[in-house]
Amino acid sequence: MEIFGQLFLNSLQISAAYILFSLGLTLIFGVMKVVNFAHGEFFGLVLLLIAIIVPWLNSPALPLVLNYALAGTASILVTMACGWFLYHFAFKKFQRDMVGSFVLSVGLSLLIQGLFLEFFGGVPIKLPDLIEGNMHILGGAITTQRFILTIIALIVAATMCWLIAATKLGKALRAVAEDHEAAMLQGIPYQKIALYGFLIATFLAAIAGALLAPVTVISANVGSDFLIKGFIAIVIGGLGSIPGSIIGSILIAVIESVGGYYFDPSLATLAMFVITMLVLLARPKGIMGNG
Amino acid sequence: MVSTRTSIASVVTLSALALGISLFTGTGFAASLVIWVAINVLLAASFRFVQLIGELNFAIAGFVGLGAYVSGICTAKLGLPFAVALISAALAATLLSLIVGFITLRTKGPYFMLISFAFTEVLRMIYTQIEYIGGNSGMIGIFPPVLLTEYYPTFIVAIVLLLLLALYQLEQSDFGKVLVAIRNNDAIVQTVGINVHLTKVLCLAISSFVAGIGGALLAHANNVISPGDFSFLLAVYTLAYIKVGGESHIAGPILGASILTLLAQVAMGFGPYEHIFYGSAIVIAVLLMPDGLVGIIRKFLKLAPKTQVSSRH
Repeated sequence: MEIFGQLFLNSLQISAAYILFSLGLTLIFGVMKVVNFAHGEFFGLVLLLIAIIVPWLNSPALPLVLNYALAGTASILVTMACGWFLYHFAFKKFQRDMVGSFVLSVGLSLLIQGLFLEFFGGVPIKLPDLIEGNMHILGGAITTQRFILTIIALIVAATMCWLIAATKLGKALRAVAEDHEAAMLQGIPYQKIALYGFLIATFLAAIAGALLAPVTVISANVGSDFLIKGFIAIVIGGLGSIPGSIIGSILIAVIESVGGYYFDPSLATLAMFVITMLVLLARPKGIMGNG
Repeated sequence: MVSTRTSIASVVTLSALALGISLFTGTGFAASLVIWVAINVLLAASFRFVQLIGELNFAIAGFVGLGAYVSGICTAKLGLPFAVALISAALAATLLSLIVGFITLRTKGPYFMLISFAFTEVLRMIYTQIEYIGGNSGMIGIFPPVLLTEYYPTFIVAIVLLLLLALYQLEQSDFGKVLVAIRNNDAIVQTVGINVHLTKVLCLAISSFVAGIGGALLAHANNVISPGDFSFLLAVYTLAYIKVGGESHIAGPILGASILTLLAQVAMGFGPYEHIFYGSAIVIAVLLMPDGLVGIIRKFLKLAPKTQVSSRH
């Protein structure tokens, strides 16, 4: 029973991060039909910026929590500005061109990773813990800070789902994802909605990065690992589908934590791939994909 | 446009030139350069062949790696002849691609891209787990046969030229036209009674055959292989060659791979900027040169006669 509790907790914390990440990916795909390979770079940028700002702000007068909050906010804002810049000067021209935009984002991802290596160096950084201590829930152990960060991540994800399900902006996003021409005929400003979708996705990746900053070993290519898992999650769930990305993320997280516990991590990744193939055999457009 | 006779003549001249250059490089840095250019050209042509059906095949890195490992096991571990290694590498890549293609080519567009990408990463991970082939640190001592050592660059250039010719012939044949038709509209191809799914699988298999040979040639040129050599980056670099060269003609990958491989050597002289170099090459090509160098050349060739016509009036 203790093992189940532990595995449940592990799955919960992994899936929280994956959900934030893949929600962004699937949102960009739904609204712009862009497979954004550079999505992991937004995530990486936030982490690297925080890794610079936190030690820089560090002083006895400033509590660590406040330090993290300041660094996190500043980094998220900078990352959103980068997202806006990339949207206007690159992705805007490649909307609804899946192959072109994918190639572009692959190039951007490579370029940005190279720049990260150049500016931040290749040495991994581990930031100080935000909160000390452990907690015991359902027979499993978890560090207090991981628990709190997971809860915040889940709240952000839930808020995002509410925003997409219930608000006017969310309706517009879904309408554009379904059929952008029909949406425009209904008076929805497509270009504006596409920009909002892209920025929301950037924000999700950025906040995932900010929340993981105290618990992750930060390096220049930290985004790549998340990117692969995020892609597998949305392929399983169906590109462009919000519930699909959540189901996919949870599935990936469970495989990773259970497989990593009973076997080894690389076997878990292999299992993910095999399961993806099986899902695609049965449903070539993912679990929640149309058609 | 250029007449067929001149283009045949220029192809023959260029091939002879390539073979000639490769003969005089010896075994030093120049020889390595010739080998790298030739193999990269081959990989780019193989990648482009799957683009004929409109798919981006990132699994190419996986098949190159499979070819490299299979041929390496043949010569370095089992002591089999080089020819056997070359053929086994090609067959292994073809066979696996038939199986993988049969499953994954049911999907298309972004789904296929992402799955092929995952396939490459999974294969790489499997190599790191197998002790027999050296795990993470890789295999050593993969040498071309002694008889060939001095002429290995020439041998590679010859094989690459042969395979390029074969790929070009295939593209020009009826089979090639079916491939392009599938890219344009697969539903119409299906309605005239052609099995679209099997045709796509066959296209991937041909491309992987070439990739397998490329991997075997690469392994025997480098003498050392490790899982990291066959990561998804290999496929991204190949994509950069095609994007810079242009994809509308087989000359595109040849041009792109040659120029980028040589330029990369110059850039590496300044430091470890490989990521930035290839990344910006892709971004610049995609944003500023929609059909790569081939597109620019084509524009140039087509514009010239037009101005002549207008000046006569």
